[in-house]
Amino acid sequence: MAKKEEPKIQPNNELEKKIIESFEVFDHSGKQVVDVREIGTILRSLGCCPTEAEIQEVILATENKEATGNVPLINFLPYMCKVMIEHRFYPASAEMLLAAFRYFDKEGRGYLTKEKFAQLMLEEGEPFTQEEFDEMMQTALDPVTDTITYEYYINQLMVAPKDVYNIADEIQEEMRRLEAAAPKKRRASSLLRAAKN
Amino acid sequence: MFSLAEGCGCVSFRGGRRTRSLGDDSSSCRSSEIEQEVPKKLGKRILNGECTMKALAPFLKFWKRDDVSMTKAERTMKAAILIQQWYRRYLARMEVRRRYTWTIFQSIEYAGEQDQVKLYNFFNALLSHMRETSGKPSSERTSRTASVMEQVFSEESDEGGGVDETAPPKNSREPDIEFPLQRKDIDLLIETFRKKKKWFFQHRLHPKQVAQILKEAAQMLKRLPNINVATTSISSQITICGDLHGKLDDLLVIFHKNGLPSPENPYIFNGDFVDRGKKGLEVFLLLLACMLAFPGGVYLNRGNHEDLIMNTRYGFIREVHQKYRHNAERLLKLIENVYRWLPLGTIINNRVFVVHGGISDTTDLDMVRSLDRDKYVSLLRPPMNEGAAPGGEGIDKVEWKQVFDILWSDPQTIGGCVANALRGAGTYFGPDVTTTFLSKNKLSFLVRSHECKPGGYEILHNGNVITIFSASNYYELGSNKGAYLKLCGNSLDRQFVQYTAAVSRTRRLTFRQRVGLVESSAMRELHSQIMTARRTLEATFRSMDVDQSGLISVSDWCFAMEETTRLGLPWRMLKDKLVRTDPDTRLVRYMDTFDLTANRGGRKSDAQTVVETLYKNKRSLEAIFKILDKDNSGYITLEEFSEACQLLGKYMPNPMTQEQLVDICRLMDINKDGLVDLNEFLESFRLAEKSLHEEEHMIAEIKAS
Repeated sequence: MAKKEEPKIQPNNELEKKIIESFEVFDHSGKQVVDVREIGTILRSLGCCPTEAEIQEVILATENKEATGNVPLINFLPYMCKVMIEHRFYPASAEMLLAAFRYFDKEGRGYLTKEKFAQLMLEEGEPFTQEEFDEMMQTALDPVTDTITYEYYINQLMVAPKDVYNIADEIQEEMRRLEAAAPKKRRASSLLRAAKN
Repeated sequence: MFSLAEGCGCVSFRGGRRTRSLGDDSSSCRSSEIEQEVPKKLGKRILNGECTMKALAPFLKFWKRDDVSMTKAERTMKAAILIQQWYRRYLARMEVRRRYTWTIFQSIEYAGEQDQVKLYNFFNALLSHMRETSGKPSSERTSRTASVMEQVFSEESDEGGGVDETAPPKNSREPDIEFPLQRKDIDLLIETFRKKKKWFFQHRLHPKQVAQILKEAAQMLKRLPNINVATTSISSQITICGDLHGKLDDLLVIFHKNGLPSPENPYIFNGDFVDRGKKGLEVFLLLLACMLAFPGGVYLNRGNHEDLIMNTRYGFIREVHQKYRHNAERLLKLIENVYRWLPLGTIINNRVFVVHGGISDTTDLDMVRSLDRDKYVSLLRPPMNEGAAPGGEGIDKVEWKQVFDILWSDPQTIGGCVANALRGAGTYFGPDVTTTFLSKNKLSFLVRSHECKPGGYEILHNGNVITIFSASNYYELGSNKGAYLKLCGNSLDRQFVQYTAAVSRTRRLTFRQRVGLVESSAMRELHSQIMTARRTLEATFRSMDVDQSGLISVSDWCFAMEETTRLGLPWRMLKDKLVRTDPDTRLVRYMDTFDLTANRGGRKSDAQTVVETLYKNKRSLEAIFKILDKDNSGYITLEEFSEACQLLGKYMPNPMTQEQLVDICRLMDINKDGLVDLNEFLESFRLAEKSLHEEEHMIAEIKAS
């Protein structure tokens, strides 16, 4: 027992429990640390919808400064609680997504050609790897017409549950209620004044 | 620059394609920015996903307007990002499902192994008790090994069950193999073994041929040291394969890709050739045959499944009985003899140690080299010293631990060495243990197997430990790839080759479908685990359900599940797959846990009986039965079984069970011949369960009226 054992972080509320559980799926060592490359997956499994750039932000903010490549729970947990309460990385609605597809479909035909879509996904925005693209094509591409019928495709993808943000809202509410119920602290000067009068 | 972590769906940087820098650029991609620019009055409703398609119109205009605030290029970028981030999110959720599905399979597998070890610790006690009472000498009961020389093999031609009864039995076309085995015989064997199940009985090897392969293999293995010495001086390369677990397809893929073994193309097979897969016998015989036909081309290491006790539970014994019904017992004796003579490890060029499990902080290669490996007929039942007092400590525990550790241990990422509680045997060894071991023995690195990995291999401990696993689709179709390792040249450069057998069945499946397939299989496994613990779980749930509403909180449910099953699974994530959640209160309908499909309405109220624990643990029961039935005749005497039940009763949670068990024993002998066969036994439990259930139901009805 030469090593100093660090106490495990315990959750204080539902939100923290959810975050910790997602985190722990990727914690192979049991020491409440994960590899930075898993952060994106963890964020998304919680219900967030960050861009790649936003994931980088999270990593920079929460990474272990002494041993880069790791993100410890002790940094991750408070950061994520804040993220949830602020509704950051909130998933876009299906309508938003549909509109984005429609933007590329100038003629309003209701589909995109495979070539056009490949060019977009592989070169614009935060490009897909060939692997990611091939994987997407397997579900998105209509093999008969060789097009992306995006309306149908959107329906196929799972709708993003916003559970975790709702939980965060509730926790906020709780905290506000507790604060309101607690006796207001008054400055000593105003207390004195009140006593005088 | 870092590359994509396997299957992670995470960040990937590719030099030329990125047009914008990250973070500090004002026009960088923030989802919040995209949302902020949405027309204000619709903003909030869109964010909450409450908008109907009607309200989409002004929204579309947003993307189309030619505004100076956003160039066309920026708009394109933002729209593309929206699609990409959405899709990545979907991919990530798939990945997480794949991860926890993996965890489910693994934890159930290891919990099963742990059970196995516990069961056999119990059996050591049981058998010594029986030895004392029956007064028979120990060797008869601890080992099947009898004189293997004089054995007469009966014809297998009068097969029933599973064979086309109308096919003429004399039409068997056995492969025409000759001894000593040569390349042509190997080709014949492969051709025979590949045949589909329905042709098996026509084309299989004659039991005499099987026996000869086993006998000759044992003789060859006897001459080998405990730790094989392999060298690449002739071949300049060597191939290492991991667990095969009866997957003949994978072995054939390996031979197809890498060629048959020979002194110029040597192979090391690192244990676990049998159990779980359907063609364990074929795999085992083929490996032994290759060893006989290509001397110096094949090195075999023993795995923890090269053990008849493991085989009773994990399927190999059942397989041998199915394939050679009349000769199974004799063949198993020969197989046991091969097992005990299998070397425990291999060292390549005095630099690389290849062993099935791993090491521990006490592993002493000198001791391993000098012990008599053949006395470890089964690892789980230690060899008793002859002449020791019955039930006395006749075994050399230190030596036993050496063998156990190298065949059962797993590496861990954190330092130190602790007992492997998950498996019930061996240790978890950390990178520091590895470093010490390697430097003490002047070795470069360690290659081991024993654990299934998604990519078929894994590199740990800064490259000092490699796990290689060669059975693809191990848990389920699409669950993982298999791999083999080639070490090339004097520097022993590492080259991994991955593959998936039965590719035609999995190729067309998307990641999503593969995940779904594996997941549903895992869920079924998990469900059966849950059902074995049903009584305890239900009691715990009810005690948490203060107002008897049928609902409890998510936290309570998670806590109860972990407390009872101790599987270490992410219950919060699995919750939606197992139970329904009330949408308003977000409480969990806990009784759903016992329905395979949580959506089923109105589940029937099952009154579970006291013997459910035993019956649901059918595999354990079978294993117990088989151990007691030492000559594998399929029958045990009632007295033997009663005795076992009495001892078993001590381990049951409810002491009343013992009496019921004894009663059931009497009921069990259906044809009243003083003998119980396995089917009678299991059938009786089912009937007993059913009648007890009816009784309880009746009592409940009476109470209710």
